[in-house]
Amino acid sequence: MATIGQDIAPPDLVAKVTGRARYAEDFRAEGMVFCKLLLSPMPHARVRRIDASRALRMEGVIDILTADELPATEAPREPILSNEPLYEGAPILAVAAVDETTAAAAVEAIQVDLEPLPFVLDPLESLRPGGPDAYEQGNYASRDGWQSVKWTAEDFEGAGDHMPRGAPLSEWSKGDLDAGFAAADFIVEETIVHQSLTHHPMEPRSTMAYWQNGKLFCHTSTQSVARTRVGLASTMDLDPEDVVLISEFCGGGFGSKIGGTTHMAVPAFFSRKIGRPVMMRITRYEENYIGRARPGFQAWVRMGARNDGKITAIDLYVVQESGPHGASDWNTAGMIADLTYTPEAMRFRAVPVFTNTPPKAAQRGPGGAQIISMLEPIVDKLARGVSQDRLAMRILNAPGPDVAFGPNGTTLTSVHAREALQQGAELFGWAEKSALSGQRHGSRVTGVGIGLSPYTAGSRGFDGLLLIKPDGRLYVHQGIGNLGTHSIADTARAAADVLGMPWESVEIVWGNTGQNLPWSSVQAGSQTTHAHTRANHAAGMDARRKCQEVAARALGGSPDAYEVDGGRVFQRGNRSRGMSMAQVAERALEYGGRFDGHELPEDIHTVTTVAAGNLVGQGLMGVARDNYGGEGSIYSWVVGFARVELDVETGHVEIMEYAAVTDCGTVLHPRSLGAQVFGGSIQGMGMAKSQRWVFDPKWGVPFAKRLYTARPPGMLDVPLDLRWGAVGIADPQTPVGAKGIGEPPVGAGAAAITTAVADALGGNCLCRTPLTPDIILADIEGRRTYGKLEQHVG
Amino acid sequence: MGTMRDMIAPFELFQPTSVEAATALLAEHGQDAWVLAGGLDSFDWFKDRIKRPKVVVDLGAIEELSGIRAADGGLEIGAMASLTSVVRHERVASAYPLLASAAEHVATPQIRNQGTLGGNLAQDTRCWYYRSGWPCYRAGGNTCYAAAPQAMNREHCIMGASRCVAVSPSDTAPALLALGAQMVVRNRRRERVYEAEDFFIGPAIDITRMTVLDDGDLLTAVRLPAEWADARWYYEKVRDRASWDFALESVAAAFRMNGSTIADARIAVNGVAPYPVRLHAVERSVIGSQASENLAIGAGEVAIQGVRALRQNDYKIPLMRNLVKRAVRSVV
Amino acid sequence: MAEVEVIRILERDVPRRSFIKGVIAAGASVSSAGYLFRSPGLLAATGLQGTTERLVTLRVNGQDRRVDVLPHETLAMTLRYKLGLTGTKLGCDRAECGACTLLIDDVPHYGCSMLTQQVRGRSVTTIEGLENADTGELHPVQQAVVQEGGFQCAFCAPGFIMAMVGMLNTNPNPTREQAAHALSGNLCRCGDYEKILNSAMRAAEVARMA
Repeated sequence: MATIGQDIAPPDLVAKVTGRARYAEDFRAEGMVFCKLLLSPMPHARVRRIDASRALRMEGVIDILTADELPATEAPREPILSNEPLYEGAPILAVAAVDETTAAAAVEAIQVDLEPLPFVLDPLESLRPGGPDAYEQGNYASRDGWQSVKWTAEDFEGAGDHMPRGAPLSEWSKGDLDAGFAAADFIVEETIVHQSLTHHPMEPRSTMAYWQNGKLFCHTSTQSVARTRVGLASTMDLDPEDVVLISEFCGGGFGSKIGGTTHMAVPAFFSRKIGRPVMMRITRYEENYIGRARPGFQAWVRMGARNDGKITAIDLYVVQESGPHGASDWNTAGMIADLTYTPEAMRFRAVPVFTNTPPKAAQRGPGGAQIISMLEPIVDKLARGVSQDRLAMRILNAPGPDVAFGPNGTTLTSVHAREALQQGAELFGWAEKSALSGQRHGSRVTGVGIGLSPYTAGSRGFDGLLLIKPDGRLYVHQGIGNLGTHSIADTARAAADVLGMPWESVEIVWGNTGQNLPWSSVQAGSQTTHAHTRANHAAGMDARRKCQEVAARALGGSPDAYEVDGGRVFQRGNRSRGMSMAQVAERALEYGGRFDGHELPEDIHTVTTVAAGNLVGQGLMGVARDNYGGEGSIYSWVVGFARVELDVETGHVEIMEYAAVTDCGTVLHPRSLGAQVFGGSIQGMGMAKSQRWVFDPKWGVPFAKRLYTARPPGMLDVPLDLRWGAVGIADPQTPVGAKGIGEPPVGAGAAAITTAVADALGGNCLCRTPLTPDIILADIEGRRTYGKLEQHVG
Repeated sequence: MGTMRDMIAPFELFQPTSVEAATALLAEHGQDAWVLAGGLDSFDWFKDRIKRPKVVVDLGAIEELSGIRAADGGLEIGAMASLTSVVRHERVASAYPLLASAAEHVATPQIRNQGTLGGNLAQDTRCWYYRSGWPCYRAGGNTCYAAAPQAMNREHCIMGASRCVAVSPSDTAPALLALGAQMVVRNRRRERVYEAEDFFIGPAIDITRMTVLDDGDLLTAVRLPAEWADARWYYEKVRDRASWDFALESVAAAFRMNGSTIADARIAVNGVAPYPVRLHAVERSVIGSQASENLAIGAGEVAIQGVRALRQNDYKIPLMRNLVKRAVRSVV
Repeated sequence: MAEVEVIRILERDVPRRSFIKGVIAAGASVSSAGYLFRSPGLLAATGLQGTTERLVTLRVNGQDRRVDVLPHETLAMTLRYKLGLTGTKLGCDRAECGACTLLIDDVPHYGCSMLTQQVRGRSVTTIEGLENADTGELHPVQQAVVQEGGFQCAFCAPGFIMAMVGMLNTNPNPTREQAAHALSGNLCRCGDYEKILNSAMRAAEVARMA
């Protein structure tokens, strides 16, 4: 029986519920010492002098590690340690001591002479004439070098209530924008602020490293494994084979630990320097600084629609708060807007600006989640303006299979957004629920929201590697990571199914590059479901063919005369004439050559070649590159529906129910898919409703450093009534038909809330996140609140 | 000079088993001593290494501080009674549900299991400038960063400021004001009893403390008078998250009704001032009147007389008005 | 960029002696790695003696464990670094996330925010203590989580599971809403609250049938 489509208990679950699952900080090594980071107390400064003499005299202190001892990096690339900290909390140096208390005391005993430098938190401040830049070199860098991007005084003065719009750094358009607006019966113009927010995975990015016989052993917290090892090897200037990276369990990443983390190199270098294992336990406080954040947007948009509901034109301008090392969310934002609403004409302009805030990185649905959560209430405004049902308006504007979007006319492998909207409307009960919109009971007003969110969901061309061993079991080697999505197990099903192996006979090998893992996609951008069902399918097909060949050679006849199923290889139509997988494996070892990995395909990646080489002679090997090919980008969709009750006397919003439907191709693992849909949606709800990043603008330092001040959603902040569904139409361009799901639910969850709140407020889009009680109440009461473009507040 | 967080600096730990021993230790060590109740506020300070007491006096082993007992027709709750024990106590739940409700709104189950009523009352403010170790007035410096023109002060006060604009974070404090509770404070020499309202002090009296508790003092018990047992009550806390969050504002009210007339009332709010505020003028405006929507609306307006917003907390004014209105509306 | 002047003592020995001493001091426990304070010299230098005994007996998962505990040491640190019980996680170390939730006399507490010295004479249960010591059978709550496929990254799982066990001690038949309230002291950043609640409800069922 095929395992695809069935619920399974993930193979690592018992370890997780017993506490035996070991995360990076759970490892100990003989003679292990501890290092602590000295963080910059200023948002931008130059280190003039470090006096560690007092610290180094303290009993138990072993040594310090400074930026000068590490490979130089060129700005704006992130350094591991820095003599020019670019945000409060940037690590300047590390101290190692025999215990953490001593290391902590040593950090406090170190004198660092810092020269304060100009800093900027708000991109618009940096764009003002004479405004400060995050770097001495400027506020923007590209292949052409550094720039200090400034708009003119007229750009700022002429903007009125709206976001100023000077010359962009990036611009594209399609269609005739003027004609698009001329054709519109109703036009909306809004200025919007989406705040930056920290990822805050549950597990801070701790790392323990040691060296043995010239090899680096690194226990770290990373989303990917095979790829993180390569990255770390490059940082350390090592051959990847000299790095053993162990990350069997990763306590959440959400984009913040894609290729590991910059600072995992600190214990690696430190351990090499002092000749002892070094543990760097990262605290939540440090995680706030070095743990990455989603970049905020300040944006302006003009959208027009005809009375029939068709969106005719979108003019979108995004200014991105990029942090010191950049992020490409802004670019995605334009693409997603075009894809979701398929306007007849569109112009997209953007300016990403470096700022002296903690570094940014992709956070689930980077760029897409921000823009969807902000634009969906504006689409609702258009719907009201042209008297269209909000659901009908989205169905009308959603792309069909012939869509071509963005500056290069990107096409898709498959798209079923309309089906998702229809199925979602049914699941939620749109007809009766939308009728509740605006109903008031006491001080509570009902709002109903809808958010449609696409995102890229796959990639191609990676390798699969598996063995059928003489114990009769299938061992699927996975180079992807294990951050809780169950991909290590679920993508292995592609191989299990083509080999007809019962799931009980499948073992997953993962999380430790010492166990020979193939070249893989990074575990990010919702790639793995698509990329590695393909890679494992390819390896499975390779093994299947080899099984048939082994049987033919052993039992006679042609390979095609044999079937592979139920843990056996047997002659078509004569189940009794065949071999068990154990026997096939024994024979494969006997035959050698490509059967047991002595001969490998030419087109696999070097990493896979080395890994497979180490597995030679252990059983029948399936190894192949994903050569399935395909045309167009791979996108998945989630539509979210929410009903909220907004208390007009307190500004408090309670989410009463939420329903979401996804189009992500074939469903591999229903329960796990539901968890991804809800989990992403809940992160989106937090983004829309509570999570924040607050800085004092005068001093340039953050305040929402703790979980209680950063406010990720707890169990009581989300509805008990959660429902999900899937369209379930296979993507025709991939053998299993499955696409990824990690990214799109965030925008759906967030937009369902931003639209529901606007709906409860009679269609008034506050055009800002998070929508906390103060902002809502101040709006209802006509009270003073934040400036239209103020960022990092709340 | 490097800033270090999340490592408790060493201290000497005492675990006395009687109030006498505790107060003697506190007297002996004076400013060097720190009183540890549930520890949820204390450990934050210790882990930030901003407060580094030489001596910590853990009250956890003093049995006489943890009981809840009948006294003078009312109740006496030991300061070390956990918030969970307050919530679950039969007599608290039946006669003083206002307090049980307030205590149940504190943070999370684990915190209520460990956190104490005394600790909830005596905890320090959550002003993030102060909690970050900035040298503000309250920390012995000579400025208030939170009142600066560009400051982040959404959660700060709209009344009662005196140099410092921080607010009292306690959820149970306004309930105790509304219930006419008394606080029993002991030191080595004597025992004093304070009305709840007087127990909390503003920065005008002493900017470095939130309560009357001085070095050497121990809050030993909270007394709930029989007078306000079985009263009609209202409690509401508005916060950003439904768990682990301090109040943006809260209201606690106790009413004695005579038919539909408000015979007596005590109404308090928190989150608006550096101390929980009893609203005497509001009480006067409703006592003796027939409860009605109009009376509630008027009460809300009376509540906000004289308040003044900072840059980012203007919303607190209508919120306070509305919470008081809702409290009075609850007896209509 | 000019190289920063770094003042350090160049000729110095790695303090091997104190390292060895530290291991001996920590030798009273099972763990090889002392964590908090391996250098007794430095502690003595602070002049802090304390009235509390350093060598204490803790009742952990039904066993008495002798362990050298400093006055300022938190229970989570003792468990993780001295008793080798790394199932208790540190997500925030500030009583905010619940990953360190364990039971003290059957009641859920945040292990990161209590001193080990405060639990002398009390019974501590961690995630490692849930399985049946004789049969290895999973606790009903653990069985329920496995049945429901609960948790994603699962860094929060030990804390949530301990909170569920604590909840069932006082409320064996919770409604879904009551369970949500009982588990509201634990954060899951993966947002797996639906499956976690399903697990909690299933756990009550499994426990009833046990």
